[in-house]
Amino acid sequence: MTKTSKKNPSKDVEFSTFYVGGALCGIDILNIQEINKNFEITQVPQASHYIEGILNLRGRIVTIIDLAKKLNLESAPKDKSKNHRNIIVNSEDEHIGLLVDSISDVVLAKNNDIEPAPSNIGGVKGKFFQGVLKTETKLIGILDIDEVLKES
Amino acid sequence: MFEDDETLQMYIEESLDHLGDIESDLLTIEEGGDNIDIDLVNNVFRAAHSIKGGAGFMGLNTIKDLAHHLENVLGLIRNNELTPDSTRISVLLKGFDKLETLLRDIEASNDVDVSDHITALEDITKSSLPKEQQAMVSQMVDIVLADGRIFQHISLYELEKYKSEGKNLFLVEYDLINDIQRKEKNPIEVLNSLQKTGTIIDSRIDFDSVGTLTVASTPSRIPFQVLFASIIEYDMADTLFDINKQYIHAITDSMIISTSAIEADPKPMPSPDRKEAQIQPETVVSTKSPAKKAPATRAASTKSPAKKAPAAKKTAKKSTKAKPIEKDIQVNTKPQTSLRVNVGLLDTLMNLAGELVLSRNQLLQGINSSNIKATEISGQRIDMITSELQEAIMKTRMQPIANILNKFTRVVRDLSQQLDKTIELEIEGKDVELDKTILESINDPLTHLVRNSVDHGIETPMEREQMGKEPVGTIVLKAFHDAGQVNLVISDDGRGLYPEKIASSAIDKGLVTEQQVSEMTEKNKMELIFMPGFSMAKEVTDVSGRGVGMDVVITNIETLGGIIELDSTPGQGTTIQIKLPLTLAIIPSQITSVGNERYALPQVNLNELLRIPAAQVKEKIETVGDAAVVRLRGELLPLLNLAEMLGIEKTYPDPKNKTDLPERRFNTADRRSKHHLTVEEALTDKPEQEEVVEREQKDRRYHASSAINIAVVSAGAFKYGLIVDQLHDSEEIVVKPVGRHLKKCTAYAGATIMGDGKVALILDISNLAQMAELSTISEAGQLAKAAEAEAAAAKEQVALLTFKNGEEEHFAAPLSLVERIERIPTSTIEKIGDKKVVQYRGGALPLYELSQVADFNPLPEKEQQEVIVFKVKDRELGLMVTPPVDALELSLDIDSATLKQTAINGSMIINEHTTLLVDIFELVKALNPDWFGLEEKIATEMAEDGEKIILFAEDSAFFRNQVKGFIVEDGFKVIEAEDGLIAWELLKERVDEIDLVLTDLEMPNMDGFELTKRIKNDPKYSHLTVIALTSLASEAHLEKGKAVGIDDYQIKLDREKLMKIVRKYLNLS
Repeated sequence: MTKTSKKNPSKDVEFSTFYVGGALCGIDILNIQEINKNFEITQVPQASHYIEGILNLRGRIVTIIDLAKKLNLESAPKDKSKNHRNIIVNSEDEHIGLLVDSISDVVLAKNNDIEPAPSNIGGVKGKFFQGVLKTETKLIGILDIDEVLKES
Repeated sequence: MFEDDETLQMYIEESLDHLGDIESDLLTIEEGGDNIDIDLVNNVFRAAHSIKGGAGFMGLNTIKDLAHHLENVLGLIRNNELTPDSTRISVLLKGFDKLETLLRDIEASNDVDVSDHITALEDITKSSLPKEQQAMVSQMVDIVLADGRIFQHISLYELEKYKSEGKNLFLVEYDLINDIQRKEKNPIEVLNSLQKTGTIIDSRIDFDSVGTLTVASTPSRIPFQVLFASIIEYDMADTLFDINKQYIHAITDSMIISTSAIEADPKPMPSPDRKEAQIQPETVVSTKSPAKKAPATRAASTKSPAKKAPAAKKTAKKSTKAKPIEKDIQVNTKPQTSLRVNVGLLDTLMNLAGELVLSRNQLLQGINSSNIKATEISGQRIDMITSELQEAIMKTRMQPIANILNKFTRVVRDLSQQLDKTIELEIEGKDVELDKTILESINDPLTHLVRNSVDHGIETPMEREQMGKEPVGTIVLKAFHDAGQVNLVISDDGRGLYPEKIASSAIDKGLVTEQQVSEMTEKNKMELIFMPGFSMAKEVTDVSGRGVGMDVVITNIETLGGIIELDSTPGQGTTIQIKLPLTLAIIPSQITSVGNERYALPQVNLNELLRIPAAQVKEKIETVGDAAVVRLRGELLPLLNLAEMLGIEKTYPDPKNKTDLPERRFNTADRRSKHHLTVEEALTDKPEQEEVVEREQKDRRYHASSAINIAVVSAGAFKYGLIVDQLHDSEEIVVKPVGRHLKKCTAYAGATIMGDGKVALILDISNLAQMAELSTISEAGQLAKAAEAEAAAAKEQVALLTFKNGEEEHFAAPLSLVERIERIPTSTIEKIGDKKVVQYRGGALPLYELSQVADFNPLPEKEQQEVIVFKVKDRELGLMVTPPVDALELSLDIDSATLKQTAINGSMIINEHTTLLVDIFELVKALNPDWFGLEEKIATEMAEDGEKIILFAEDSAFFRNQVKGFIVEDGFKVIEAEDGLIAWELLKERVDEIDLVLTDLEMPNMDGFELTKRIKNDPKYSHLTVIALTSLASEAHLEKGKAVGIDDYQIKLDREKLMKIVRKYLNLS
């Protein structure tokens, strides 16, 4: 499901965009289950550093990933009262939350508009990006959700 | 094959359901022998029959064939034409097993070769018939309809059978589209209803006639043919079948044509092929002829116990080691996906759901109208309904354990036959119910345990007779409820476990070292069988001996939150007890917290809660190396600090600005105050309470939370104390799985949602122990014991009472001399001359303080005075002291030189304080020399009469000097010996001089018991009185002492009593 965007090059895709550590990123909106402001997060000692904790989402236990930490980006201090949001995505029959700095617009684009990621965001970070999407004013890094959510 | 998934699924479930009870029924039939229980046979017969009926319709030809043959044999049994003996039942059982296997893997069923089973079944059928009919059994005929179509491949024998019963044969052609689907019927229902009025001999779909239709003309008919035998006449038939009469064909003899006759037919209908051409390598040993049947049966049944464990899949998956072994019995690996639920229960659920909706409406109304009373009431209602709902839903998951236990009748039967043993299986508590998931996962471990009992436990009848036991072994499977858990007991009266054999086998396999084994108890040794890779069997057999097993059993049971206990008496039998939670979904848990998070601790693992008050932390928590331990009722319990283990940064709320500050204490035993609180202070709380005003309630330094909370937990072989910040309530929690990112955090068994909506993690007790690299109880216990034994060997444990004189000087006195400890108001103390007395129990108790006899500080004036009351020479005297007064047991390590003075034996370090040991006798003597007049008199007398000589064996120099001191003081002569052996040598040399033997019990080289035994067993010495001196006398000691002939026991430092006894035995005074 998360790979749909790759299959149909000319199909319109809506990307939900958000800021993480100063960078504008986007993911296919179809991957998103919901976006919420629930920060009753229980910390999980001994989990990987990028795990923010776990959360009760209407009776389901949802793992929250601090996306900035996962992507090795500098993150704004977590003042949870402000713009921070959890993007709950559905992956492998499991809900996983991505903690982001703030939510931005939904951008409509075609799959073949996505250009390969510039080489300077290569390396470790690079593997998390499917490519970049240029709009008139902004540059959006399109995330490879499967890669981001890989447990490692 | 038939493609309608829903119908197929329904068929499979129904069939499996039919098969469910067959095994036990067949076994009962077997037991009954000639006295056939027609109802039971009918049951089994019907099962085979309905499976056959459905299979024909689904195009499952292999299943149909097999079911058909089974049915034939059962029919014969039903008509009393065949005796259900053991071999026949075996064939039937195997047939049904195969049927189940086929049903479980329905997709591939048509490609499986069942000819062995069929031949075996045909053989049985033939054997019951007269010769001329035998040929008929395997002879196949076709039925040719009037329009030339052929209904192929029918057993002639069967047709003849029904005809001979006076039944009419029909071939009914249903149309799947018009007659069944359009009428909103279900094919299976149709078949079921037909069975009420007659017998379905065969059924199939005429695919051929469907296939001939072109795409353009939509198939108007999909004929579904049923060959039916009934007593109903032809003209009545249409009403019965509810279809047009033209599709009902009465079958006459002329229509039946032998197969061979039409083999030349150029266009036969695609026969429901038996696929005999595609025979695959068979795993089951075939039964070729009736004569060879018996041995073959045994060989074949080798596979059956394994086959009977469809849940083996789980184990197989888990341990790859097990996989190749059970490859040949890869039955279905899909767990049951649907469940039968009692309709009454469903009604209850419906009802409750209705109630819930009602209450919700009331609640909403109450909230909207801000009616607090109404809200409260509906809140209560919802509370009640939820509990009931939970219970009812849990009930739907509950299944009687009989589902599993019943299978063991078969397992034991097959296995014991194979091993030439006679075993009786008793099953108790079949109606105990367990959660479905647990039930499924318990099957495997249980099978293994039962198999072990049969294979290793029970001896062969010959061995049993030699042992003087009944030749028939008994295995008891018992299930019962106890304390909210389900208990399963597997016990056998077999040969039991021999700890030594197990230990040596484990050493051979390199699982443990001899060193380790030497420190183990018998129970520990037996528990070695739970170690991975352990096996007793010398050869690998079909049944066991691969070294995979007990460890898998124990892991399986522990994943279920269960406990396994082993108990065995060599030669008498083995009992294994398994304790399981009723359900996995909801577990009672103790909620604890560390830092800001709560953690749930499953109640199964929890033994007790321990709270160590702030004042006692320093004394109670000790450190061994860098590990903290607490002494709990004489056992050393390792402590794990949850915060440290999980790396939780401890914070405490700063009282001033309410921000969290990092915790500065690092060690559990660290306290802020330099000297720990005294008992008194901790009890009154005075200094703390004054500060409470300034401190937040939450402040962990507030006295109540400054105590250490320990949850004593155990999991498998681990037992330890888990230090948490706070202990909260016990709650029933719903276990929820955590996401895949957290799978590698093994410290948690899952998560749960607390009442306030926040998530709490559930701790995995055994994984935590593994993380801490905790040694198992046995090891830890052994280490502790070894250390203690070593210490005890070096020094002796003595009970002492410690107290202070003033604030600075610490003292101790032997506890055995202490009568009581009193606290008296200073005002009641009277001074008479230079003596102090107090009115006490109707007399005057003289009071002394240490400064009167030795160079110590006088006691400060206080309102209350603590007095230790000693009893010397039948007179009481009080020693005024300063608290805390505490009793402790420790090994004496006395320096009797440095600080020696009047009334002081010497000094030793107790709790980091130099403590002086008070010699009460010397004290009394110094204060009241006249009390000892009598002794002096005897001493003088003795000096005149010639001295009495006492042989005194004692390894501790301190005690030797002490005791010798007061014996000599009383006018006796003492010969000292450093241990029993030296004493024995001395005795042999100087037996004529010695009048009495005084001996310590615990001594190196030769202990007091051995010494006494030698003395009492040698007529040269047996006249001597032996008095044993001991520091701790237990019942067992006394018994043992009496047995070897010790005349009396005395406490080491109780000078007065000891001397009295010595005098008594020497007939003095």
